[in-house]
Amino acid sequence: MNAKAQKAKGCGIEPAYYDAVTQAIRSEAVKVLKEGAVSAVIGYLPGRRKSAAVPAVVTTEEEAGRLIFSPACVNNLSLYLTKAKKGILPGGKIGIVAKGCDLRALAGLMGESQIKRDDLFIIGINCAGVQGAVAAGNGQLTEASIAKKCRECTAHTPEGVDFVAGTLPHLDGLTPLEAEELARIEAMPQAERWAYWKEQFSRCIRCMACRQVCPFCYCEQCLCDKNRPQAVESSPRPAGNTAWHIVRAMHLAGRCAGCAECERSCPMDIPLNLLNRRMAQELKELYDYEASMAPQEKGPLNQYKEDDDQSFIK
Amino acid sequence: MHAEQVKHDFEPKVVAFVCTWCTYAGADLAGTSRMQYPPNVRVLKFPCTGRIDPVFILRAFQKGADGVLVSGCHPGDCHYMAGNFHARRRFAAFRALLDFVGVDLNRLQFSWVSAAEGGKWVEVVTELTERVRGMGPMKEFKELELEEQWSASLSTPELKAAYDSIT
Repeated sequence: MNAKAQKAKGCGIEPAYYDAVTQAIRSEAVKVLKEGAVSAVIGYLPGRRKSAAVPAVVTTEEEAGRLIFSPACVNNLSLYLTKAKKGILPGGKIGIVAKGCDLRALAGLMGESQIKRDDLFIIGINCAGVQGAVAAGNGQLTEASIAKKCRECTAHTPEGVDFVAGTLPHLDGLTPLEAEELARIEAMPQAERWAYWKEQFSRCIRCMACRQVCPFCYCEQCLCDKNRPQAVESSPRPAGNTAWHIVRAMHLAGRCAGCAECERSCPMDIPLNLLNRRMAQELKELYDYEASMAPQEKGPLNQYKEDDDQSFIK
Repeated sequence: MHAEQVKHDFEPKVVAFVCTWCTYAGADLAGTSRMQYPPNVRVLKFPCTGRIDPVFILRAFQKGADGVLVSGCHPGDCHYMAGNFHARRRFAAFRALLDFVGVDLNRLQFSWVSAAEGGKWVEVVTELTERVRGMGPMKEFKELELEEQWSASLSTPELKAAYDSIT
């Protein structure tokens, strides 16, 4: 299929679908706040600019009545439950709006004992997809504007939530661009792969947006901020950049939920999710582990079997 | 008394991260048994392979190592019961990551060497050293490090010549 035909095909998501989800979220959020079942709901409010959305913690029914869900609701809200962002939530049970990928992050945080299921009221969304980092168009979800992660999403339908918002519309199968890119890089000769990543990492400005936006980067002191001894150089230069991205990918191996927030928030357009996906793929092959919407007691690197593969060890 | 030393054009730096209970004792045994092995290897002692962070390996490569060896107790022999089992999974994942980023895995060797295996230590170290010698210096990470120290763009022929003279 040529590019033009692909564009013409579109995603065909009706705005009515988003309206229905928005209404469902509003009524449920208002209900649980009124009942006093939760002290706050983390959701999305309309942004200042047209067809924008911003994450928000709402505590009153009036505010809850303004919650929305639109293709611009890209953020993974589970971030606000971690200790890295402590102090922004009131105590007590918290309601949270979660897409499928956010649910996997919530499950991962539960598995790491960072949050408790009993402290949450999860409003799951039957999610058709959200926009990519540089969204084109008028706030509609089209094949041109949909996020790469959503093109090959396996988590459209939420599982194990307290309330499900919306019904999933018909979704066209889209070409898995990210999987194709991953396969292309893996097929490169080793020296070419190094050159590719060297170029990508050289753009990094070490703004640490990828770390700040990641629900799993909740350490109160990051290894990469430490000096004496310094593990990773902290200035935006080639050696430190490469080390930082390798360390980041390694620390997320077996934990990453695949929400691709790191890649979305990257101002230098570094394809960080490719690293995450490569690690996820490897851990699936080696230890049959996949991020899921149900909490798992231990990640693949926190457990072992006596007969694990050791063909690489002499 | 000593075997004749062969002169090589390139002497690789090999950093060995070893566990204190098995491989360090194994290397010690090789020494007390007067076995000969390449002096290129620098041994760093850790409590356990489970303590060896992938960051150490990166750091070694960045700071000039041409090859890295990670060695510890055989599975089931860990002094801390499970340290090497955890390390095994971690390094399997780390190898995949390095490979994806484009690092030649022939420069990175993992092994199990027990306190009784002085001979195996000699064999592992010799094999890695000779393999890395054949591959030449590890340029990739060192180039990054050099670029790190170089603060201006190479805009003039003089700067270019100066830069070339340090690489």
